[in-house]
Amino acid sequence: CKVIDSYEEETMEARFGCLTSAQENFTKGKYEWAAKQTEEQIKLLRYQRRLEEEFSRAYLDLSLHETMRKLIAEGNTKVVEQMRKEFKVPDRRFWWLKVIAFSESGDFIELEKF
Amino acid sequence: MASHLSNGPVNLGVLRESYRRELLECLDKCTGSKALVWDDNLTGPIGLIAEYSLLKEHEVDKMFPLRPGRLQPSNVQNIIFICRPNLALMENIAQNVLKEEEMGGFRKDFHLFFVPRKSFLCEKALKDLGVYGTFTNVDEFCLDLIPFDGDVLSMEMDLSYRDCVLNDDWTSLYHAAKALMTLQALYGIIPNIQGKGPCAKHVVEMMLRMRREMAGQEPQIMAQIDHLLIIDRSTDPLTPLLSQLTYEGLIDEIFGINNTTVKLPGEKFAPQGKGGDEAAENITTTEPKKFILNSTEELFAELRDRNFNAVGPLLSRKAKLIAAQFDERHSAKTVGEIKQFVSKLPHMQAAKTSLATHTSIAELVKEETTKEEFMASLRAQQEFYGGMETDKAHPYIEDCIAKLEPLVKVLRLICIQCICNNGFKPKMLEFYKREILQTYGFEHLITLHNLEKAGLLKIQGARTYPTLRKTLKLIVEEVNEQNPNDISYVYSGYAPLSVRLAQIAHRPGWRSIHEALNLLPGPTIDEIQQIPMELRRRSQTGEQKVTLVFFLGGVTHAEIAALRFLSHQEDSPSEYIVATTKLITGDSWLKSIAENLSAKSYNPF
Repeated sequence: CKVIDSYEEETMEARFGCLTSAQENFTKGKYEWAAKQTEEQIKLLRYQRRLEEEFSRAYLDLSLHETMRKLIAEGNTKVVEQMRKEFKVPDRRFWWLKVIAFSESGDFIELEKF
Repeated sequence: MASHLSNGPVNLGVLRESYRRELLECLDKCTGSKALVWDDNLTGPIGLIAEYSLLKEHEVDKMFPLRPGRLQPSNVQNIIFICRPNLALMENIAQNVLKEEEMGGFRKDFHLFFVPRKSFLCEKALKDLGVYGTFTNVDEFCLDLIPFDGDVLSMEMDLSYRDCVLNDDWTSLYHAAKALMTLQALYGIIPNIQGKGPCAKHVVEMMLRMRREMAGQEPQIMAQIDHLLIIDRSTDPLTPLLSQLTYEGLIDEIFGINNTTVKLPGEKFAPQGKGGDEAAENITTTEPKKFILNSTEELFAELRDRNFNAVGPLLSRKAKLIAAQFDERHSAKTVGEIKQFVSKLPHMQAAKTSLATHTSIAELVKEETTKEEFMASLRAQQEFYGGMETDKAHPYIEDCIAKLEPLVKVLRLICIQCICNNGFKPKMLEFYKREILQTYGFEHLITLHNLEKAGLLKIQGARTYPTLRKTLKLIVEEVNEQNPNDISYVYSGYAPLSVRLAQIAHRPGWRSIHEALNLLPGPTIDEIQQIPMELRRRSQTGEQKVTLVFFLGGVTHAEIAALRFLSHQEDSPSEYIVATTKLITGDSWLKSIAENLSAKSYNPF
């Protein structure tokens, strides 16, 4: 299974390769939903890599949720807004996400704003 | 020792005795001093068969866990590997053997025993690794069903369900059929067989074939078990997913019971009234404390199957009783009376210690059950099996996901909702799945896929659950937790479907629920094994029959409790013994189906 393989590859490029072929296979096998998710995972990995370069912090292999939480706690709300739109995060969870992230970073002023 | 095994409906001590004999025969094949190298999965189960002192009598000097690399040095004549036929372990064995050979020194004999059976693949792997020829003996120790208690047997194969539903690997079913043959060799042919589900069908077929192959060489033993009922977990996936509410079930859910032993945080059980420096105390108290839980302990036998809400009152009643007994000494006047009192003392002391232990355990459990998370999850479960609002995303589940509660808890709730809703609408299912991937990570795609393949998550199909709920009376509104009158007390209002099937099989019979049975997956099995007249059990009027219920794919403590409850009913037609591939909780069961993945640390260069 290519998805399992992708976690075993050490270099980023090989992982993209694995995931892309997983995506193709999902499409061939008529698992459109899974193919779509794989596509999003690739997108997320690219995001994470860019963010790592930008802020030189580790984001890779965090889930989308955790990536966003980390970003909020670090005050990068702009990127988060963008990601939220792009990955279509439901409001209810996003609200929880913000509450938890702000309380973690001790940002009570932001927390008050709700 | 092992007295708890002989007080059930049939004497399971006999089974244990036969396994012990077999183990010792295996060991005696190798003459001289021995070191045993154990597969970790087997130390617990085999510990229930033979204690260390017995092994010592048979010249076992050392015991090691099976690890990759080199064995610890020892100067024994024989090195005996005891392991499951698991390919991954073969490599470890080969390394051990090769390293030992390299060392030179005086020659040791190597032996290998597979439990319960040899596997062709494993033997081939050993040949490929070039060590097969080194073994003096490659044999098997047919330990199939490990007696856990007077009425509980388990194969301790945790991957059985996964293998059957995900990989179409029926090895464990073969072992189950073999195990049933062993039981029949000891306790006589079981005349009536019933079963439900695809796996049950396989087991019954294999079993009947094995009997035909033995043609005419059957041991002439009086039938002690009248009825065999095989239930495939896939006919009732809902029950193990719900939170068990019996005392033993809760201990298992919260702390995990392995091979009848539970490890609990030590602080609660530290001997009181000890002064001294705190540092030393911290070391002693942080160590987990082990307790063996079986029916040898009178108090536990009484407590284990109670609804947890009934445990507190019972404990306090017991405490008063013991206090009253101790007070009797004041009324003892004559020497005779005092003597009588003193003779009771050891028993009373033991009862007092056991009471103290269980009061502490109950406190630990109560800490968990009074938590808001536990209550909220229970409320959600009750809404689901009651059939309320199951077709919408449940706010509590959404919150759990957002708060990153343990994934297995979330999956349990979603699967419960899915089963009670007869599957989800595609959009709902995709919503939950997406939420999980986004929150817990993409790697869980495979777990989700496994759950779908296992039928725990599915697209909406025929509406079977409401019919089943009604015809099998799964939901009971008024539950009496203190003095239960129905098996539904074990889940405070939900009667385990599996146990309902067992109950109805005897009275009024499965024919009465013909339609409900057709709604459940897999064929219904009804077979009779002919046995000669003289071996039939003479059923005296009023005598209870004995039924063996075999759960393929695991059974929970709450289900066992429900069966015991049936056994103890005054007008019950039968007593029950339980056998299973593995004792499970919802968590351990789901984990066995899920995929375990973690990304390799990423190397940026």
